[in-house]
Amino acid sequence: MVGFKAAGALFLTGVATATIAGPARAQATEDLRTDGVRRELEVRRIVLDNGMRVLALPRPGAPVVSLVVRFAVGGVNERPGTTGAAHFLEHLLFRGTEKTGTEDWEAERALYPLMDAAHDSVVAARVRGDGAEMERLLARISALEDSARVFTDPGEFDRILRRAGARGLNATTSNDATTYFVDLPSHRLREWFELEADRMANPVLRGFYSERKVVIEERKLRVEGDPGGALVEAHLAAAFSVHPYRHPVVGYMTDLENLSREEVAAYHRSYYGARNAVTVIVGDVDPDEIEALARRHFGPLPAGAPPPPITAKEPEQRGERRVELVFDVEPRLRIGWKVPAATHHDTPALELLATLLTGGRSSRLHRRLILEDRIAASVSASLQPGSAFPRLLVLDAVPLGPNTTAQVEEAVYAEVERLASEGPTEVELARVGNQVRAGAVRGLVSNFGLALRLAENEALFGDWRAMLGHPERLRAVTADEVRHVARKYLVREGRTVATVVRGEGPIS
Amino acid sequence: MNPSRRPDRRRPRGFGALSASRSGIALLGIVSTVQFGAIPAVLSGQTVVDFVPPEPERRVVEGVPVYLIQDNTLPLVTFYARLEGGYARFGRENYASGMALPALLRYGGVAGAPPDSVDRLIEHYALQTTFGGGGGAITSSVNTLSEYLNEAVELWGAMLADPGLDSTEVEIWRGRQLEQVRRRTDDPGTLAVSRFNRMIYGDHPIGWELTAADLSSDRLSRASVLEIARRVMCRDNLSLGVVGDVDWNTLRPLANTLVRRFEACADSVPPTPRPQVNRDAGVFVLHRAEAAQSVLILAHTTDVRLSDDSDYYSASIGNSVLGAGGFSSRLMSRLRSERGYAYSVSSLWTTPRDYEGLLGATTRTSPETAAAAARLIVETMNGLRLEPPTEMEVRTASDAIVNGFVFSFENPGQIISRTMFYESQDLPSDWLSRYVRGVQRVTPETVHRAFLRHLRPGEMTTLVVGDTTRMDMAAFADLGPVTFLDAGEEGESSGSR
Repeated sequence: MVGFKAAGALFLTGVATATIAGPARAQATEDLRTDGVRRELEVRRIVLDNGMRVLALPRPGAPVVSLVVRFAVGGVNERPGTTGAAHFLEHLLFRGTEKTGTEDWEAERALYPLMDAAHDSVVAARVRGDGAEMERLLARISALEDSARVFTDPGEFDRILRRAGARGLNATTSNDATTYFVDLPSHRLREWFELEADRMANPVLRGFYSERKVVIEERKLRVEGDPGGALVEAHLAAAFSVHPYRHPVVGYMTDLENLSREEVAAYHRSYYGARNAVTVIVGDVDPDEIEALARRHFGPLPAGAPPPPITAKEPEQRGERRVELVFDVEPRLRIGWKVPAATHHDTPALELLATLLTGGRSSRLHRRLILEDRIAASVSASLQPGSAFPRLLVLDAVPLGPNTTAQVEEAVYAEVERLASEGPTEVELARVGNQVRAGAVRGLVSNFGLALRLAENEALFGDWRAMLGHPERLRAVTADEVRHVARKYLVREGRTVATVVRGEGPIS
Repeated sequence: MNPSRRPDRRRPRGFGALSASRSGIALLGIVSTVQFGAIPAVLSGQTVVDFVPPEPERRVVEGVPVYLIQDNTLPLVTFYARLEGGYARFGRENYASGMALPALLRYGGVAGAPPDSVDRLIEHYALQTTFGGGGGAITSSVNTLSEYLNEAVELWGAMLADPGLDSTEVEIWRGRQLEQVRRRTDDPGTLAVSRFNRMIYGDHPIGWELTAADLSSDRLSRASVLEIARRVMCRDNLSLGVVGDVDWNTLRPLANTLVRRFEACADSVPPTPRPQVNRDAGVFVLHRAEAAQSVLILAHTTDVRLSDDSDYYSASIGNSVLGAGGFSSRLMSRLRSERGYAYSVSSLWTTPRDYEGLLGATTRTSPETAAAAARLIVETMNGLRLEPPTEMEVRTASDAIVNGFVFSFENPGQIISRTMFYESQDLPSDWLSRYVRGVQRVTPETVHRAFLRHLRPGEMTTLVVGDTTRMDMAAFADLGPVTFLDAGEEGESSGSR
């Protein structure tokens, strides 16, 4: 133990030395690391005649590939009445096409107009408040879907890929994008290209009405039955008064109940053109083979019309907004400040600011709220709910009972004000700089993670190479720039505060 | 769109361990010496891949096994440690101390350096650390840029072998756990898992949940955690793994220094106790006023064990056919795709080595469809007792394992971790090959036999947590006698009937 104490003392000495010498040491290795990262990213960028961009990145390792297809469509492309359409469509794209998932497409298709007509009558009955008629019609739709099921196998798409050894077959819909992904053994690429091209071009929205129930259950899981999810929904609705970031990606319950097959099909026609997609393939691949497969299978896909532009612009916020939700649960707090889109030049400083506030145990809010004052169980900061449009710097916190959200809020504002006034120290910037550098290397470990980042950067900035310069941009941020963005954006007039408080049951 | 299968980190055992065990089935037997081409493709659709996975070098340093996979792809190195001895081994009176130990290894500083110094070092060198584990063992890792390898190993070694267990951090941990106790009833899913484990496993670590009594100062203190650390964090319990941009010549002196930090164990850790399972069949209902969804858990015990026999492999494939195999599995197909009852439904068939596992299913659905969903689950399970699955169903499950086998080697860290785990479980060195060969031998008839032998629908314990005022309670009676549960000592039923 004596020996260890000696080592411990040396260690502490080492801390001081390293802290002082850290930035210089980091600089000495920066070029090497950056070059190393860049050498890792020998991406082949292919632009097909229909406008689809395909990125192929060969990587060493096991004979596997990560496949990502990202469409620039999400909650932001919806409006009241059709909220949830992007996410609903994403579900339906796993249920097959005219070729996959059916034994007799013509017989199956003949039943669809009957279901759709019954659905139109359901909507009319709902408006009239005729519950009995609604039930009768919904039962008829279920019976028609049972009839269609004689011809169909909606799990076939999943089964084909599973039998090929697929891992992680899934998709996600966000405010800005819908992303489909899967990992496969690399020798099964050709099958994936065939299946993917077919489902992107020819979905038939099979099982539309039973899948609607699934999406409604998902909304109940994530929002109605989850106070955290309900808090996010209420917070965004309060923070954005005009911009579609105010709508939930999963959709409002009434919209989910009333969306028609035609409305979802129209959504597909508007946004699933090849020009609106980025495909990324990372792993054990030959770029020449990828290019040939992409041209053969994705090349014939229709380009589609340019998607309708998003014209809504959030007006300047003039004062704090507050919203409170009552649930029979322990309290939560969420504060959001208006900040610009990810493409804005202030973004690196804002990202750094978020890290300084809650990134790690040495961060300012973690130390203050959790370690020193002990008034919170957790705190985290993030930029939400999307990237493409002006958004929020969000701070989520859980008070440690019996402390209140008000106490946590007060401490947060004090720390934010201190950072805006004093700016970060050199030690803090050096620490975050090292974390950024290590993060850039760690970001190369996973084929899937890399594929997602390539797709996001290609879609958002029009060039995947934007990700290469990101670590340098972050490390170039100065203390003055952090102070500047804190003063400019983290102000009372631009913030929206939402809380969950305990009470007698949910608000109806 | 697919339901998340991320394990609930708050419940890494018991019913929560069902998912861990399911993962265990998929991950079974990772053994470094497997030659990929040696696996026979006995079924059509299964492809032999020409790929030789990286093989860990095994050395012994001062009696401690050390595995290395050198991988110079990126300038990163990861160290892994596994120490036998977790919270399940030291009795209920030490439960909180055992649970606290991994967190306090990370947050409690080291001897001679307070927590904030350690925090600053970790963040300055941009290290990524993990400290965790289940009831039986503690696991930890550190990932570093290779240029900080010496500093990382020095610090991590001190955290493991000479932990500070700062008393202020003990208080912070206690406070956060008490907050979790307060919030445990907020989510019906968490509540249901907790209650189900207690119903089946009773006063066994799988059925335990931290309570205010566990967290009292007479059961949890710096001294009590230190005593658990003394029992666990010693050399005889240790195995190490290393992956990344480092060779043996560089690693050897680091490993020597690291291992020598650990003193020899004064006592061996006691074994994990075996549970006495309760077999109360019937429907048990816990009312939650205004809950948007009801949580259903249906299961009974089975004695299929993780071993190289037909029942085990048939259970693995049968579980996939039933509900663990994605959208094309029977439960997903019937409850989700056809009826739209639920966003997620999954079966479970756990196969612990030393005690009985569980066979059953779980889902969340609207209160109005809860009874119908429960009946459909039982009917679907019973279907595999009445008739064998189709050839296509069995082939799909088998092909998924065999063709996706290569993913077991995607990340060298996976290989090292699993090698260490399987050595700790005394699994044979060729376990992975055995597993793949075993599932290839499964047929519809062997799956049918497994369900005939092990599925007992009349013995199912069904737990329903939700708003009973909106459920068809009479319909639940078809599944067995219905018992309303009391709220329990933590006020689990916060609403009125």
